[in-house]
Amino acid sequence: MTATAQRPRLIRQDGREKVTGAGRYTADVVAAGQLHARFRYSDHARARILRIDTSRARELAGVLAIVTHEDVPDVLYGQMVKDRRLFAREEVRFDSDVIAAVAATTPEIAQAAAELIQVDYEPLEAVCDPELALEPGTPLIHERWASYEADETMERDGNVLGRSTIVRGDATAAMAGADVVVSSRYEADGAHGVPIEPRAVLAQWQGDRVTIWSSTQTPFAARSGVALTLGIPESHVRIIVPLLGGGFGSKCDFHFEAHVAALARKAGRPVRLVFSRREEFVAPDHRRESIAIELQTGARRDGTLVARRARLVLDAGAYCGEGGFFAQLAAMHAIGPYVIENVDIDSRLVYTNNQPSGSIRAPTAPQTCWAVEQHMDELAAALELDPVELRRRTLIEEGSESPTRQVFGPVGIRHTLERAAQMIGYGQPLPENEAIGVACGWWPSFGMPSGAYVKLNGDGTATIVTGAQENGSGAVMGLPLIAAQVLGMRPEDFSILCQDTDAGPYDSGSSGSQTTFNNGRAVAEAAGEVAQRLRELAAEQLEIDPLDLELAGGEVRVKGSPDRSVAISELAAADAEILGKGSGAVPEQPACSPDSGCLGRLGMESFLEPQLITHAVHVRVDPETGVVRVLRVAAAHDSGTIINPIGANGQVHGGVVMGIGQALTEGMALDGHGHQRNPHLLDYKLQTAADAPRIEIAWIETPAVNGGPNGSKGVGEPPSVPTPGAIANAIARATGRRVHRLPMTPERVWEAGR
Amino acid sequence: MSASLATASTVEQALAQLAAGARPVAGGTDLVVGARQGKAPLPERLVAIHRLAELSEIRESSTEVALGALVSHRRCSESGTVRDRLTALADACAIVGSIATRTTGTLGGNLMNASPAMETGGPLLCFGASVTLRSAAGSRSLGIDELLAGPGRTTAASDELLEAVSVPLPPAGTGSCYARLEYRRQMEIAIAGATAVVTLANGEVTDARIAMTALSPAIGRAGEAEAALIGSGGEPDAIRRAAQALAAAASPISDVRASASYRRAMAVVIGRRAIEAALARARGEWVPVPASTALHGGVR
Ligand SMILES: Cc1cc2nc3c(=O)[nH]c(=O)nc-3n(C[C@H](O)[C@H](O)[C@H](O)COP(=O)(O)OP(=O)(O)OC[C@H]3O[C@@H](n4cnc5c(N)ncnc54)[C@H](O)[C@@H]3O)c2cc1C
Repeated sequence: MTATAQRPRLIRQDGREKVTGAGRYTADVVAAGQLHARFRYSDHARARILRIDTSRARELAGVLAIVTHEDVPDVLYGQMVKDRRLFAREEVRFDSDVIAAVAATTPEIAQAAAELIQVDYEPLEAVCDPELALEPGTPLIHERWASYEADETMERDGNVLGRSTIVRGDATAAMAGADVVVSSRYEADGAHGVPIEPRAVLAQWQGDRVTIWSSTQTPFAARSGVALTLGIPESHVRIIVPLLGGGFGSKCDFHFEAHVAALARKAGRPVRLVFSRREEFVAPDHRRESIAIELQTGARRDGTLVARRARLVLDAGAYCGEGGFFAQLAAMHAIGPYVIENVDIDSRLVYTNNQPSGSIRAPTAPQTCWAVEQHMDELAAALELDPVELRRRTLIEEGSESPTRQVFGPVGIRHTLERAAQMIGYGQPLPENEAIGVACGWWPSFGMPSGAYVKLNGDGTATIVTGAQENGSGAVMGLPLIAAQVLGMRPEDFSILCQDTDAGPYDSGSSGSQTTFNNGRAVAEAAGEVAQRLRELAAEQLEIDPLDLELAGGEVRVKGSPDRSVAISELAAADAEILGKGSGAVPEQPACSPDSGCLGRLGMESFLEPQLITHAVHVRVDPETGVVRVLRVAAAHDSGTIINPIGANGQVHGGVVMGIGQALTEGMALDGHGHQRNPHLLDYKLQTAADAPRIEIAWIETPAVNGGPNGSKGVGEPPSVPTPGAIANAIARATGRRVHRLPMTPERVWEAGR
Repeated sequence: MSASLATASTVEQALAQLAAGARPVAGGTDLVVGARQGKAPLPERLVAIHRLAELSEIRESSTEVALGALVSHRRCSESGTVRDRLTALADACAIVGSIATRTTGTLGGNLMNASPAMETGGPLLCFGASVTLRSAAGSRSLGIDELLAGPGRTTAASDELLEAVSVPLPPAGTGSCYARLEYRRQMEIAIAGATAVVTLANGEVTDARIAMTALSPAIGRAGEAEAALIGSGGEPDAIRRAAQALAAAASPISDVRASASYRRAMAVVIGRRAIEAALARARGEWVPVPASTALHGGVR
């Protein structure tokens, strides 16, 4: 392919409406006669419910419906473990479990009514520390855990919700024989995705069918959830996604659609729920998991990694949600993109009475990478090797075998290391209190079902109807390029329509860095069908074999004699409907053969077309205050072939800034009793535009063999993976002290330096 | 939701509304944002005062600057006289929130909201500013120290409108600085802030006014810190003693933003930096406005 600079620059179609305020989000959708919903949340992190009395709330003028567990089927739901009810019945397990929902003529009346609902509890001691939750004698968060319906690979044991072990060789013996052994313990606090658009849901019934407008990244998952929990057929549920104001994973899965639908059904009127910023922090079953990470690595003098032992404890929170795979993903990140001869990794995902964890941009990766990459720098120091040199000697390359015996194809991680080091000017002399840190990381591509239609319009343009959504990842921006390539048309001839669950093809949604990866293949296939039809039509007109025709320059023309042609617009205008559909074959997971003793195999023990990253950052530390400023970031990524450079760069800019936030200022502060202390933007400190450093980007394009269109991999999540680790290493270099807790707030940096 | 909102086009209309029980809203960046956050519901009756041109003026004389209550942080920090002669106030206004907050938020709103973390309080206190309060019954003048009564409280009556803040111009040879600890580069709230206003004559500190922000329930001057500086030549040792005296006078709390011990340690650091920058300005050296941005990242 051409150099990225020469490729077309497709600018996001929703950009202007977003920055001018013209965009219409779910909260802007109005249905005639709509009511407003508010929830009554649990007042405790853990308690038995003795009585729920809604009588006083019902009497309030303007209240039209109140829904509790009594109004919906008694159904447990959850993507990987069915462990949750829509409305709490016997027990509440975190402080924002929903007990009741109210629909009223104004949000204020609904709120007042929610507060009037009388709930009697027997408060129970909340279990908020995941390591404590593992200890014998600690109360079980889910007493009936063993009876829940769950993915059979989930390892159930006490409060353990999922366990993954990766074992290869004899780590203990190898550790004993190593020249150098380094041990570390790191702790990462939870964090949030913080989409700028708080979630909103509007539900409207017509007979026994419900239409739901929802700010979801995954409308088909939402549809399944509504059907399951309300006991209605999926075909009776239509989910429409208006313009999405960001998601970062937090709007994946089914969330509050059924609560609102149940209210609307009972009230006999459309009902809309719009979250406050506070609710957006506390109520979703999506936030970044806290992890306690213990690492031990043994190496030979030359840097060869002979053994790694790791113990990880992840906070799952009160319910599994879609996060059941986190133990295995974290275990893979505890290894990282390195060649390690013997490993013994044990990763446990544990129920607590905290807010449930769920996918937030590269779940488990930034935190685990932050720990592992600091640990690698500690090892480099013990070996008296430069940290970049140690990585140079230990990173995977083509033909390397992972601890689960996956043999890697072409991988550009070593190139990313060299490029990032070069871009940042690694090794240059720096002023006092400034330093450069480097970190490497990886992230899999995910093959998932996807769907798209390509519809040729009478005027010679085309519409891509996709089942995927635009959650800010910009993934759909690249789709016209792919269709244009197949059809010999211009990318600007295509418009994109993100369709609802009734009108659009099935798709896994906008999640997991996989939209272009999977939906791109679907679009290519759909465009291929259209191309085929065009060739047939042109062949009739030109009286020639379709095989002798090619599509280029907006025409179907005879190969070798381009003057014999017919314009695509002409064919489109003549034929009633030219419609192609595609789903694209899901690439197979690469082969691997983990040693026996590897538990909790959920399919991530091998990484499909890994995306590989090195970030090098230049920071300045104010040693007196602990304030860290990131001055410059060099980001080198192997995401395969880059389809739309401007979109891919945008993901790196956003991901790096999000990574800086995770590194320095963004952390969920807990009070030890299951309540968040900073569920608002004043004290949950996102990075602002003024904090964004200069970010230089290099794409190391190693075409994926088993990947997305044109040899692409994913792009969306990896940019936030190694940023915190690189910043941590820079801080340690600048100050001579390591910060063992994430986020590395000024006070923690200052404390470490005392 | 407020039951009623009136927009005043004359001060008299506004005063009549206040007398009838309405609360004024200027930029709304405290009042409306606070209500959205659930701090306090919006008052039943509001009178919008943002159109009152006579409250938006900056009047300068040879002895003082009178800033109308509606002067925005942005205009205040961009005023040449404020930057040259009342630099600490420019430092403070230039770091309020973001450019949007500074364009919308007003000096009057900042004072009347009376947050112990408010930016302009320390500088105005140290400069000896006074406010004019007016009601239908008449007007009166109060010192800033007399106006601020505690967290979220002022001594103004509910029917009084803040018209203007008068700040006397300090003598030649005065330099001042307001510095704040900043975790990030904008949208911050003071965790530790310090104001220093120092006057030098022949290299000797003849007057010093030092105040802390967000380190005690109310913004207040630290007499011991001032005493440690007055009569000195502004040498490092005197500065250190003054900063330590400032910290000793603090009563920091532990909360989600910082522990008490970190706050106290930062009182020393931020106090020292404010004093150093004020002295440097008094000597005619250039320290950029706002000082906080430059002071962080270990410039000093
Ligand atoms: C994102 C954000 C960031 C912020 N950052 C900072 C910061 O860094 N530092 C800081 O100090 N503040 C900050 N603030 C708070 C706020 O912006 C300032 O205090 C601002 O000066 C308030 O002015 P206003 O005109 O918006 O006040 P309003 O909200 O209109 O009013 C505030 C209070 O003062 C009363 N009032 C207003 N004008 C008068 C008057 N003329 N007479 C009598 N009473 C009056 C009102 O009734 C109300 O009680 C921030 C706010 C936001 C939203």
